[in-house]
Amino acid sequence: MIPILGLAAGVLLGLFLDPTVPLVLQPYLPIAVVAALDAVFGGLRARLDGIFDAKVFVISFVSNVVVAALIVFLGDQLGVGAQLSTAVVVVLGIRIFGNAAAIRRHIFRA
Amino acid sequence: MGASLLDDVLAETLDPAYAQAAARRTEEPAPARSSRGRLLVALVMVVAGLLVAVTYDQAAATAQGRQQVRAALIEDIQRSSDAGDELTAELEELRVEVARTRDDLLAASVVGQRALDEVAAAEEGAAAVPVTGPGLLVTLANAESDADDDPVGGGTAEDAGGKVRDGDLQLVVNALWAAGAEAISINDQRLGATTAIRFAGEAVLVDFRPVMNPYEIRAIGDPDSLSQAFLRNPQVIALADVSAAFGLRFDFAKADELTLPAGSTLELRSAGPVEPDPSDTSPGG
Repeated sequence: MIPILGLAAGVLLGLFLDPTVPLVLQPYLPIAVVAALDAVFGGLRARLDGIFDAKVFVISFVSNVVVAALIVFLGDQLGVGAQLSTAVVVVLGIRIFGNAAAIRRHIFRA
Repeated sequence: MGASLLDDVLAETLDPAYAQAAARRTEEPAPARSSRGRLLVALVMVVAGLLVAVTYDQAAATAQGRQQVRAALIEDIQRSSDAGDELTAELEELRVEVARTRDDLLAASVVGQRALDEVAAAEEGAAAVPVTGPGLLVTLANAESDADDDPVGGGTAEDAGGKVRDGDLQLVVNALWAAGAEAISINDQRLGATTAIRFAGEAVLVDFRPVMNPYEIRAIGDPDSLSQAFLRNPQVIALADVSAAFGLRFDFAKADELTLPAGSTLELRSAGPVEPDPSDTSPGG
């Protein structure tokens, strides 16, 4: 319950405070969001599987976001930023789908 | 290891670290669930929510900004073109005023009267004034598409041979000049001594303004001698043959009364001081 409240609080904070992101970081925001979603879905599934671990969740979230942004940054420097963004989105997207399917099986037993 | 990278990606959607941590916990006595861990999880969720909201905001703001810039640019263009139209109208007014003032001044003296007549003749020659009179009306038109043409794909099926080209118009115009025409216009675009008939893509440009099919060429002159000389021109005869072969429309008719508009306004290219000697009245340009 607390994590969901936290998520809602974060969304509301972001919408009302409207913080300005440095221009340099702006291209990495969408990728960071996809990485964060992956970590959150993974955590939710682990919880339903009964193997949730706070340490693993926190570390996977932070490392996911940082690594995704880094890969895209590196790609930008090498001139393949768009392609690497696609690669990251595809891989993370598949994982999100898989985890969402597992969560669905837990909740609806189907 | 899976058979392939793709299998790995598809099969292993959950971070294996969770399973490892769970295995470790069963081996060792599990530590009591710390409130610190819960707090951290909640904090991470706050960050996740923040990220989502900020990214959404950013994307929305970018889209909105683009729309604003676009609207501002469109407004700029509109304003500039309005200003251009206004200036053109003002220029036209001023030109009329200048011409009237000039005529008034010149009409006052005998020398001026003579100069006025010269100016009038020159303006007529330079297509600067509208003219009316009998003449010849020549019509050139693209071939009409066949009835059994597919109307859907008709745009591409229309072959280039069935279209009037700039060369055809040039030929007709030159033949008319040679036949003794005093003034010529194409679709209400008056031809002057320096007017060009050009092709630009699909459109024929006369004096850099596009004219559309069908092309109506009006020539002022004595209708009888004009049509005789025009029809005897070998190039016109050749064009008539080509037109018949490709299905172009190529008609001509004598007309008792044709009205030709004035050509584009003339630019003043050279000017000089008036010679004190009244016998030397040759205009500068």
